Amino acid sequence: MFIDVNTIFWLWPEIILIVVASGIYIGGTWPGYRSSWAQLSLLTYVAAGVILLRHEWSLWDTQSEITASGPLAIDALGHWIRCTSLLIGALFTGIYWKGPDRRLTSEFLGTLMMTVAGMMLISRANHLILLFLGLELVSIPTYVLLFVSRTSAKSSESTTKYFFLNILSSAVLLYGFSFLYGTAGTMILTGGAGIPGIRESLVQQLTSGNLPEPLLTVAVVLILGGLGFKVAAAPFHLYAADVYQGTSNATAGLLSVIPKIAGLVGLVRVLAIALPPTTEVVWQLLFVMAILTMTVGNVCALWQQNIRRLFAYSSIAHTGYMLIGLAAATTWVLAPGNTGEVSNGSPTGGIAALLLYLLFYSLGTIGIFAALSFLGSSDRQIENVDELAGLSTRQPLVAGSLAICLFSLAGIPPLAGFWGKFMLFTSALSASNSAAPMASTTWCFIILAIIGALNAAIAAVYYLRLIGVMYFSSSDQELPTAGGQGSRLVMLAATAMTVVLGLLPGYAMRRVRTAEQVQEGRFVSPQRIVQPVDAEDPPRPKVSE
Amino acid sequence: MDLLLNLSLLLPLVSAIVLWFAPLSKQQARSFALGSTLLTLLIVIRVVTAGYLADTLVENHFAATDWSWLGGVGGGGMDIRYNVGLDGLGLWLYGLSALLMVTAVLVSWETVQERAGLFYGLLLTLETGCLGVFCARDIILFYVFFEFTLIPLFFLIGIWGSEERQRAATKFFLYTLAGSVLTFLGLISIVLWHWQLSGQLTFSIPELTAAADVPAEFQWIIFLALLAGFAIKVPLFPLHTWLPLAHVQAPAAGSILLAGVMLKIGTYGFLRFNLPLLPEASAAFMPVLLCLSVAGIIYGALVALVQWDMKRLIAYSSVSHLGFCMLGMFSLNRLGVQGSALQMISHGISTGALFAIVGMLYERYHTREIRHLGGLAAKTPLLAFFMLLFTFSSIGLPGLNGFAGEFLVLIGTFQRSMGSPLIVVAVLAVLGVVLGAWYMLYLVQRLFFGPLREPAQDDHAGPEHEVADLSWREFSALAPLAIFVFWIGLQPSFFLKPMEDTLNSLVEPAAAARQAAENEMAETAHLATTQTSETTTKRAQQLSGGR
Repeated sequence: MFIDVNTIFWLWPEIILIVVASGIYIGGTWPGYRSSWAQLSLLTYVAAGVILLRHEWSLWDTQSEITASGPLAIDALGHWIRCTSLLIGALFTGIYWKGPDRRLTSEFLGTLMMTVAGMMLISRANHLILLFLGLELVSIPTYVLLFVSRTSAKSSESTTKYFFLNILSSAVLLYGFSFLYGTAGTMILTGGAGIPGIRESLVQQLTSGNLPEPLLTVAVVLILGGLGFKVAAAPFHLYAADVYQGTSNATAGLLSVIPKIAGLVGLVRVLAIALPPTTEVVWQLLFVMAILTMTVGNVCALWQQNIRRLFAYSSIAHTGYMLIGLAAATTWVLAPGNTGEVSNGSPTGGIAALLLYLLFYSLGTIGIFAALSFLGSSDRQIENVDELAGLSTRQPLVAGSLAICLFSLAGIPPLAGFWGKFMLFTSALSASNSAAPMASTTWCFIILAIIGALNAAIAAVYYLRLIGVMYFSSSDQELPTAGGQGSRLVMLAATAMTVVLGLLPGYAMRRVRTAEQVQEGRFVSPQRIVQPVDAEDPPRPKVSE
Repeated sequence: MDLLLNLSLLLPLVSAIVLWFAPLSKQQARSFALGSTLLTLLIVIRVVTAGYLADTLVENHFAATDWSWLGGVGGGGMDIRYNVGLDGLGLWLYGLSALLMVTAVLVSWETVQERAGLFYGLLLTLETGCLGVFCARDIILFYVFFEFTLIPLFFLIGIWGSEERQRAATKFFLYTLAGSVLTFLGLISIVLWHWQLSGQLTFSIPELTAAADVPAEFQWIIFLALLAGFAIKVPLFPLHTWLPLAHVQAPAAGSILLAGVMLKIGTYGFLRFNLPLLPEASAAFMPVLLCLSVAGIIYGALVALVQWDMKRLIAYSSVSHLGFCMLGMFSLNRLGVQGSALQMISHGISTGALFAIVGMLYERYHTREIRHLGGLAAKTPLLAFFMLLFTFSSIGLPGLNGFAGEFLVLIGTFQRSMGSPLIVVAVLAVLGVVLGAWYMLYLVQRLFFGPLREPAQDDHAGPEHEVADLSWREFSALAPLAIFVFWIGLQPSFFLKPMEDTLNSLVEPAAAARQAAENEMAETAHLATTQTSETTTKRAQQLSGGR
């Protein structure tokens, strides 16, 4: 075993979250205190956030020596995702404050907290099993969330669909992991000089010329299939629209954010950080998947009348954009010379773009779903696009927030989403530039960037349709707003962050660029891992203070 | 001056926020908007005058501000900067935007009844965007302003437009966006190539222009990417189809700004990026673009001839006139480019004014159909005078502003095409001038002369009201533009002077590349190769010496 007590300390925020979540589950059975659970969970997120920031701030210092290896990856990438997760958790708490069903508030909040803990665990995972555990910690509470809030045949259908397909995808993922383990002989993703992880072991096999490429390809395909389901990437996206449609607006928002982050971070950890030096098939698969995903998502969204179906397809499309960044990131080591000990190029910026886009996409999506759950009466949710008609005169603030979030998702400057797209396209183009001249990579990534850009224009069609419905048409139907002040506040907060991060994205952009160095840091400069890590004698993380 | 320049960008934005959130009545909102645009105009006039007199206009960008925006390069960040300033190319367009904005506010004075605060707020944000485009010196900042102009105009057309407004707004937005995302990729590629070849990641337009180091074999794809966005914006035939719809459906203020300012952003983009940064590709694509421009000139003119809708007619005339801008620019010689730049300003003034007049007619008669109107000169002599004046200016009567630009463009085109098959293009362009006179004069004749014809008053149009001539408000919206019609027409050198050096330096690389390509065709392959490299080095020397 290589877990010792010090390693546990890096997981304090997760531990707190899970303990409190269990407390909320148990305490929720007593009537009378239901409304205070939201306050408690908000407090928990704040507490976990304070611990996180105090404890791990030094990770941003690229010079600092973080010595822990083993099952936990103590790095800036994980830190960024953990902060994002806590923010998302706090925002969703606001949305669920006065959820569709008052009696279930504590269950919603507890499961939400579990999924947040799962996301945070994935972002720290440096071990295949831990990664899988984190993914399940996201998935299983999500089943509960869908199950307890089912109201009709449609939502039962959505729950069943999600449950069975998700189980299947987990099995596929595990199967892929087993191939990876078989190829590399270890479960640790990146290790040190003493204890090679998958990354080091594969590089060694590559340099000695006996890399079992077919086996690795099988592993990559299965992993992409398993995690592709969680992020709803085509062709594993088919469940999304039905599941989103069958659930409430708040839960649809959660589904379009949390599993996506979990899956994409898993993909980054496995494909971009553990695998990259070895096989070209990774970026080729991602290239095809990215094109397919964004095109299918955007084109299918064009005709949707149900608003949750529309956003299901829109979220698929956004996955596609983020896969551009991932594909670009996995080409980095293809550049000649990068497979050795010395790096002669900087990463393409793909991971940085993906991390930034995850945050900006989440903010935009949360803003939209918070607004949608703010609207609607207590027994009926907003279902169709047409119900938003004339919103701009009846609820100018909600319409304005929705418009800003939609423009941000469409990538119009100067809103946050623009900078996400900017970084994604830049990463694709620099992957193209840094490849050997006239290699197939060059043209593939130019094509990828062009298709991505055109998709951004296609996406604008349905975003504009929504804005047009809100602003250009009128309706005399009654539009209740029973979603509670929590949703309203979250909507305003997410919108404000979208605007502020759009005007001043510099800080976040520098942070993700730092976080991205994880891709090269562990691998290129082994001196960063000071203590040789040994399987029997676990590393002692230096608690930096 | 740099402070005033920043103030001119900030003031409309701040006023817009006030208009959105303060509970102002319609009267208060429009007065506030007028005050704000007038104040901005004063600031802009001050900046432009100072810029005109300054001798730093060429060597350095005038009134430059260079602030770190995204927080510098440390930690692997992108050094995108808030970097604004004016040079000869931007100077007049910057002034024109502020001038037309006052006209736009005055024209909307009575027509905008609903949600006035929102309307004027959007108009003012549009002003920030337009002013910003012409003084941005950072390539991403340029794009941010470029795209940002879409949002207010989308709402302006969609909420206050005519019957098909929603479709028009969406089509306008999507067309422009589809092109400009590709432009965005092109702009990033330019930056990345510079980064790769020189090791410096910079987004500064002057630095990139000075380096201009995109390899010749990759220029064509970047050129096409930039072309996609700018050609739609201009609009270049055959990508013009969004324009008539958007112009017709937009409220008068929207049409004025769309024709007067927004279309210029496209031509400005060509001059700012395509010619100096991608000279070899510009030279290679020159024949194609000349043909498309002249196709636009002829096509726009012919279609304008058969329109029954006043606004649509003027919209197609824009297609035709912008064809002249493109023609001059891609003649790739000094005269042509100067003519093109002058034509940009002239077209902004005269077409902006024509749309304002059409808006005034619409306000009076609630129709855009030409056949419903006739003989109005007797009833509204002042309006007729202005209409005639701007028509003459638009068709290029000597002594008025349209002439100077068109004349220079035609000289430039002939200079370029003499002795080559492209001469056909030049001849056809002259034909376009004739056609232009035809459809515009035909319009004026039908509207203002002959027997008086007015549409029957609708029953629900309210009490019978006497149609009056121009009010003071309308007069003051048109009069400043009329002054410039005469001024540019009589003294074009005054306007050309500050632009000349900037334009020459922008066109020089492309002209040299064209020369090299022609030499290459003329001589043997071996000789030509050495010559190209010689020319390239010469160009590099010229550029570095010129700065």
